[in-house]
Amino acid sequence: MKKNTTSYKVSQFLMFAGPAAVLFIAVVLVPFVYGLYLTFTSWDGVSKTKPFVGLANYLAAFSDSAYWAALGRTAVYTVIAVVLVNVVAFLLAYLVTSGIKGQNFFRAGFFIPNLIGGIVLGYVWKFVFNRALVSLGNSLSIGVLSTSWLATTGGAMLCLIIVSVWQYAGYMMLIYVAGFMSVSKSLMEAAQIDGCTKSQAMKNVTIPLMRSSFVQCIFLTLTRCFMVYDVNLSLTNGEPFNSSVLAAMHVYNQAFTYKNYGTGQAEALILFVICAIVGVTQVYVGKKGEVAA
Amino acid sequence: MKRKVSFAIAAAMTMSLAGGAVPALADDSVSITIFNSKSEIQSQLEEKAAEYSAETGVDIEVYYSSDTVAAHLATRYASGDPYTISMVDAKDVYSLAEEYAVDLSDEDWVNDTEYEIAIDGVVYGFPVCVEARGIIYNADAIEAITGETFDPSQYTTLDAFTELLETLVAGGMETPVGIMKEDWSLGAHFLAEIYEQQEDVEAFITALQEGTADLINNEKFNSLMDTFDVLMQYNYAAGSAIAAEREITEMMLAEGEIAFMFGGNWDWSVLNAYDYTENMGMMPVPQNTEDGTNEMLVGGGSKYFFIDSSDNTSEEQVQAAKDFLNWLVYDEDGQSFLVNDCALVPAYSNITLDVADPLGQSVKEYADAGLLIDNYNYLPDDHYSLLGAAFQKYLAGKLDREGFAAEIESYWTTAEVVEH
Repeated sequence: MKKNTTSYKVSQFLMFAGPAAVLFIAVVLVPFVYGLYLTFTSWDGVSKTKPFVGLANYLAAFSDSAYWAALGRTAVYTVIAVVLVNVVAFLLAYLVTSGIKGQNFFRAGFFIPNLIGGIVLGYVWKFVFNRALVSLGNSLSIGVLSTSWLATTGGAMLCLIIVSVWQYAGYMMLIYVAGFMSVSKSLMEAAQIDGCTKSQAMKNVTIPLMRSSFVQCIFLTLTRCFMVYDVNLSLTNGEPFNSSVLAAMHVYNQAFTYKNYGTGQAEALILFVICAIVGVTQVYVGKKGEVAA
Repeated sequence: MKRKVSFAIAAAMTMSLAGGAVPALADDSVSITIFNSKSEIQSQLEEKAAEYSAETGVDIEVYYSSDTVAAHLATRYASGDPYTISMVDAKDVYSLAEEYAVDLSDEDWVNDTEYEIAIDGVVYGFPVCVEARGIIYNADAIEAITGETFDPSQYTTLDAFTELLETLVAGGMETPVGIMKEDWSLGAHFLAEIYEQQEDVEAFITALQEGTADLINNEKFNSLMDTFDVLMQYNYAAGSAIAAEREITEMMLAEGEIAFMFGGNWDWSVLNAYDYTENMGMMPVPQNTEDGTNEMLVGGGSKYFFIDSSDNTSEEQVQAAKDFLNWLVYDEDGQSFLVNDCALVPAYSNITLDVADPLGQSVKEYADAGLLIDNYNYLPDDHYSLLGAAFQKYLAGKLDREGFAAEIESYWTTAEVVEH
């Protein structure tokens, strides 16, 4: 049997990758192209006709100040959340690989928030911020806690960040744990023989060797934070006064609530492009400096 | 041979991925689908649909979705599988009916209601119920302090209402008012009254769009905002009005910790979850005005059924759907279902059953007496969200009345109302 004919290759591909490829095309590529087409129409989401309007939706998106405000907010939120998630995750990973008692229990414990869906998480934390902390603040007369943080513009964003950190840190911790485990003991011993202190060894040996973990974790947190919707919806729902509407929520509202489907779709596309550029750049830069032991 | 087997396995696996849907067995009976967008009546509707099916042989399936109504229907239309009957909001009828709805002008019930939706003289929307907005009061809580029977008609002016609030405060209820901070309540319900209570609503909206409304000097705007200021002053959550949760506010109202809240008869479905009293009701928003609006609730038909007219729905199905709507209005079981099971205020004059809940009873009294100010159903889709946010700023004290008026005016310069 010949193994280099086209028909053989095609049939092999179809056999192994065919089902996945069909699904990928059906649920990713086709909707993407169709969505792209919709950005050139003024469809309201339900009407039979889809009038072609050229670039009007993109012009509307670029002049939609609420959209850019939401994007700016998302950028701030993302930067802070990404830094905090990774710092916390790294510290947790360090903690649970340092050989403390019951470290497997802690690993599982820190990971659990990630298993709770974003919507449920939002409602749980809403209760914490609105009731638990407030009654705590009132009974102990702590001024900062006596009014709900969710009711202030800065506070709502802070709450979003806290919840995101709580949610993602455990997951990223697992990746960092894997990173820690992959650094071979012999290198650490060599560093110590050469006279490194623990922190020097961490800085010069462990962290450079864990670079791929950092690249992965930062990529995952970046894209997740950029596209966050569920926690935003259930925790703040954009309140107070639409000051905590993040980009994905604005896009949803624009398309489905305000029924500007085309504009919403155009804004989603812009969000996608920004997210893709940031993500790809980050991975490219991160990968370039990767070292092997 | 091996190759053939592996192909067969791969093919079988692909098929199992692609498959799934088994074609339904054909039978003669008609089956229709109903989309329900009123979550609180879902279980009643399912139950009644089963009974109706058993009686008439018309198979009814009821669906519910918490999605935005229009977005949900859009997906069904896009997949060529629309509901036979869909329950939508008034504005959805205006945007959907001409393309997708059956002409219902010749139905009997059209003569028995004032709330049907017609576009260019053609009736498309079957009103499911009547809903109205106003101030919800807890008479037990008030009477416990004043010692007199509470008569809401005594408190139509803001002065009298403020006096009552003062009495309540003096009697130990320090903060007798609750305010829902939700953007739909502030933006779509309270703010909308400022438009709806104008003498000529259409002219006022046009003036807003043209930038000539001069809102800050508008009598109605000021009179309603004066009332809102009083509500804010006596709000139990005054310091953190934006953090007040709807459930807590309604619980306090139901249990008599507060006495007043701006809302509508739909709030009963929340109130009745707590330790409520039957001695509640709805009254007009008090105002210092003599134009009579302080003696009326604002409301009208709410939630409309329309029947799908696309090729996906057969004539038999359309007929079955029409029969079902008639059954709701004219059959004793149907009437009892609307009024007793679902606790809705009927939109049909031939239905004489007593409304089940106290808020609904108030609404029916005002509706029967002709004391309802019509809803303005044509507000743009982003109105409640954007101006609701501005109203929240006002509620939080971050915006004064001039600033609020300016935000409303600037919103309207680019806003377009629903075609009607």
